[in-house]
Amino acid sequence: MVASTVAPPVAARAQRPRSRSWLRLVVLLAIVAVVLYPLIWMVGTSVKSQQEIVNNIGLLPERFTPGNYPDGWTNFDVSFGRFFLNSAMVSLLTVIGNAVSCLLAAYAFARLRFRLRRVWFAVMIGTLLLPSHVLIVPQYILFRSFGLVGGDWPYLPLLIPQFLATEAFFVFLMVQFMRSIPRELDEAARIDGAGPFGIFRHVILPLSRPALVTTAIFSFIWTWNEFFRQLVYLSNLSDYTVPVALTLFIDSTSQSAVGPMFAMAVLSLLPVFVFFVAFQRMLVEGINTSGLKG
Amino acid sequence: MHPATATSVPDGRTYRTPLLRRRFLRGLLAAVVTLPLIGAAAACGDDDAASDGKVRLSIFWWGGEARAQLTKQALDLYTEKNPDVTFEKTWQANQGYFDKLATLTAGGNPPDIFQIDDNFLAEYAARNTTLDLKKYQDSGDLDTTKFPPSLLQYGVVDGKLAGLAAGENTQGLVYNKTLLDKNGLPEPTTGMSWEEHVAWAEQVSKKAGIPGTQDPSADYKAFWVWLRQQGKDLYSGNELGFTVEDVTKWFELWKGARDRGATPPPDVIHEGNATDITKQLVVTGKAATSWVWVNQMPELKKNTADELGVIAYPGDPSGQWARASMYWSIFRGSKHADVAADVINFLVNDPEAVKLLGTDRGLPSNLDLRRVISDDATDPAMKQSITVENELAEKFGESPQVPIKGHSKVKSELTKAAENAQYGRAAPAEAAAQFVEACKAAIVS
Amino acid sequence: MALTTAPDPTRRGTGSVRPPAPRGGTGRIRHGEGLAGYVFLSPWLVGLMAITAIPMLLSLYLSFTNYDILTPWSEVEWVGLANYERMFISDPSWWHSVRVTLNFALIAVPLKLAAALGVALLLNRAWRGVGLFRGLFYLPSLLGGSVALAIVWVNMFNREGAFNSFLALFGIEGKPWVNDPDWALETLMVLAIWQFGAPMVIFLAGLKQVPTELYEAAAVDGAGKFRQFVNVTLPMLSPVIFFNLVLETINGFQGFTAAFVLSNGTGGPVDSTLMYTLNLYITGFTDLEMGYASAMAWVFLIAIAIITVIFFSTGRFWVHYSDGEDR
Repeated sequence: MVASTVAPPVAARAQRPRSRSWLRLVVLLAIVAVVLYPLIWMVGTSVKSQQEIVNNIGLLPERFTPGNYPDGWTNFDVSFGRFFLNSAMVSLLTVIGNAVSCLLAAYAFARLRFRLRRVWFAVMIGTLLLPSHVLIVPQYILFRSFGLVGGDWPYLPLLIPQFLATEAFFVFLMVQFMRSIPRELDEAARIDGAGPFGIFRHVILPLSRPALVTTAIFSFIWTWNEFFRQLVYLSNLSDYTVPVALTLFIDSTSQSAVGPMFAMAVLSLLPVFVFFVAFQRMLVEGINTSGLKG
Repeated sequence: MHPATATSVPDGRTYRTPLLRRRFLRGLLAAVVTLPLIGAAAACGDDDAASDGKVRLSIFWWGGEARAQLTKQALDLYTEKNPDVTFEKTWQANQGYFDKLATLTAGGNPPDIFQIDDNFLAEYAARNTTLDLKKYQDSGDLDTTKFPPSLLQYGVVDGKLAGLAAGENTQGLVYNKTLLDKNGLPEPTTGMSWEEHVAWAEQVSKKAGIPGTQDPSADYKAFWVWLRQQGKDLYSGNELGFTVEDVTKWFELWKGARDRGATPPPDVIHEGNATDITKQLVVTGKAATSWVWVNQMPELKKNTADELGVIAYPGDPSGQWARASMYWSIFRGSKHADVAADVINFLVNDPEAVKLLGTDRGLPSNLDLRRVISDDATDPAMKQSITVENELAEKFGESPQVPIKGHSKVKSELTKAAENAQYGRAAPAEAAAQFVEACKAAIVS
Repeated sequence: MALTTAPDPTRRGTGSVRPPAPRGGTGRIRHGEGLAGYVFLSPWLVGLMAITAIPMLLSLYLSFTNYDILTPWSEVEWVGLANYERMFISDPSWWHSVRVTLNFALIAVPLKLAAALGVALLLNRAWRGVGLFRGLFYLPSLLGGSVALAIVWVNMFNREGAFNSFLALFGIEGKPWVNDPDWALETLMVLAIWQFGAPMVIFLAGLKQVPTELYEAAAVDGAGKFRQFVNVTLPMLSPVIFFNLVLETINGFQGFTAAFVLSNGTGGPVDSTLMYTLNLYITGFTDLEMGYASAMAWVFLIAIAIITVIFFSTGRFWVHYSDGEDR
């Protein structure tokens, strides 16, 4: 198994098992406490009244105000649950789109040889580098001229790019992972008569699970949190997603419902947290490539 | 597309581009514009211009949930009275509002009616995005006879009526009454000079142990009032209405206040410089006064248990004016501009609609209806702000010209320069010189 | 290195940028593979042509114009290199934002990666509750750039904030960190490091891909945990380390959200958190100078591309690929 980083002196081996796991737990708990303090503060704030949020910066409320949760949930004409459903739908479809399309592209880059491969790879990396803000307006104009903006189902401009592997981040991520898969596996499959598609199906796909899980986690979470594009393309309250809806609580020049906003911000962490904990399980089980080599 | 061979740019120089590259770019642009037309043709099927006389107008505003409710009710009332007209209502908090509005405009489909404020009105009007409402005003379709003339005038850009005031507000100095009473301190009054205000604030700091006043040197609306009282202005035509000396005097006034302990330390001033209501020092308890808009009183009140009072900014109150808190504008390319104008007229002049909307966007622009609304107000903080504004209205000066293109940059440069002086990173004169130089560049480009 | 894969003598790395392609004598494309390559690549290619490339090229074109978003395309004026001249010659705030960004990236990126790798190693082994811990460490990253985050962070690091209360326990007088122009950028760095979840997950996934028999083999050879880490974990993890390094560097330079949220979109106090992309956003959307903003974006692209090329060219000295290429 893997060493827990900091090299333990060989002499300490004798009494390692107990003391080390205790030590690790203590270290972890200490880090967790520091890392989570701001989040705990956030939860505390979500049950403060508006006046307390502005004036009392302590961890705990003087007057417990759980009403922020129902208030936030029903603050708009459309229940907040609707925003959760919209976000979940967009996020899940994005996960599928990214996982499928980026995996295909990554396989081509990592394993197949074809003309202009190096050029395309460089272009792919290049698309990561341009700050996205200058692309918003041209992209909006483009999508509008394709007739994709503002239809009955306004999510198309958000989703179509995800099914066309435009998130170069994930392509690059999967390329890097695939390149850690020993090539003898391909060769073995090839000897068994598999072509590029067979190798993809029987070697690369099963071994790409860590990369796929990582992609799924990030796609989901980033889409769940993404604001700007969702803001631009969604115009009906009932189509809004969680990040867009969260900004509706605070109009800094007129009305601010900070308490309900905090409550909904805390709630909006739950689905992503659950999604993460569920999916990271798949990272736990190590991969043993030796079995496949047979 | 772009001009044929050579284009002159503002500084008079002429640029030429190699023919090949121009061709490539032109080809690219042509591809982008024509290719998608195929798709667009299909998408245009659901065009609003239905032949049965039904009209669907898009309308976009920023604000909180309360404003959304009121506006929706008012628009529904319009539909009730004009069943052929329905609305596609989009609202947004101010975060991201103008980003989205600009993007929609670039895409050629901005809403028929949109809300805008004086920070951006000139930007949009100068680019011909807004429809000139003069013809509706002339024809009487847009009734402005009950408007205070200066409020109406504050929507005119380059001779065109670019936006119609949806409500009126003005600068207001809010103070913590509870704190002053507790320490036996006098309340500030309208008409105190700036020097007197600073002296009063110093006294508050000493007695109450809380800084007497937020330092507003980074706040353009305070600077603007002060300038007008000095016989200057923020803008004059397409130029700045002030000099380096003016700014230096302004910065020095507040350096003096800081040195005397009348204001909080710079980091707290910075916190209060945010426009957010919840960060105003008067509600966070970090200063006894904040510099806000009068109509923000009711919302400020919700954030503190203390009693608040509101007066005009220091100096002669004629430095203040009837400011349009926000406007309704119509997109120049709207297919239903006539209907849109009628809707705006309804929102500002219909007694029922105005009653519904109340003072959410500021005092009603229609003076007759304003009186009715003022009498009906029940919320004490609201009543207070209405009273103060009505009192001030008698003392208002002429409205200045609407801030020009480049104003957003001028605002942020003022904040930067003032904070440089506050943090002691630059002397007032130095910061003032930098500010004016940056403004000149911003206005030219 | 104690690895089972044999280097393939026919594929030797040569200089320059190192995408995963083999070079030199490997011009031979195995029968059918070329076609298969394009079949697998097709979704990406369509996406590139239809969605990514056109807006990118348009923004390149706009960088030579005075585009202001509101003016229709047909009236946009060509200004040649004026935007680029302005950037390099007469815009002090552009230079300032370059300095701020370099300062940020050079400190925050290595620290964030170190934190991510350290915690990933602590959480790699399967033990009861490890999933919960991973989730807890990932939580900060879930917050993204929400409005709530801004309020939370300001209240941790302003004058009365939690951090100063903590320092007070040791009798240290704190500063108004977020509101102090000398320290605001550092608070931003802390925020970036605090959200180390993404690279941590990638490290974890990478660690899972290390074949267990390599450790067994190393153990048989008598290597201790430290030797195993150096000789097995690090080389096997190097493609993932490389990925995280490249991507976090790009992210670090592009760092927008945190700066936007913490400074209310202003880059304050006194421009101390005016990151490059924040400056670009303000220029494009608030000041409506999208042509100039596009020019900024393309200069940024070129600068980052150079850095990326340097990474790729050094990669061949330390990144180990099990596919036998590029060594």
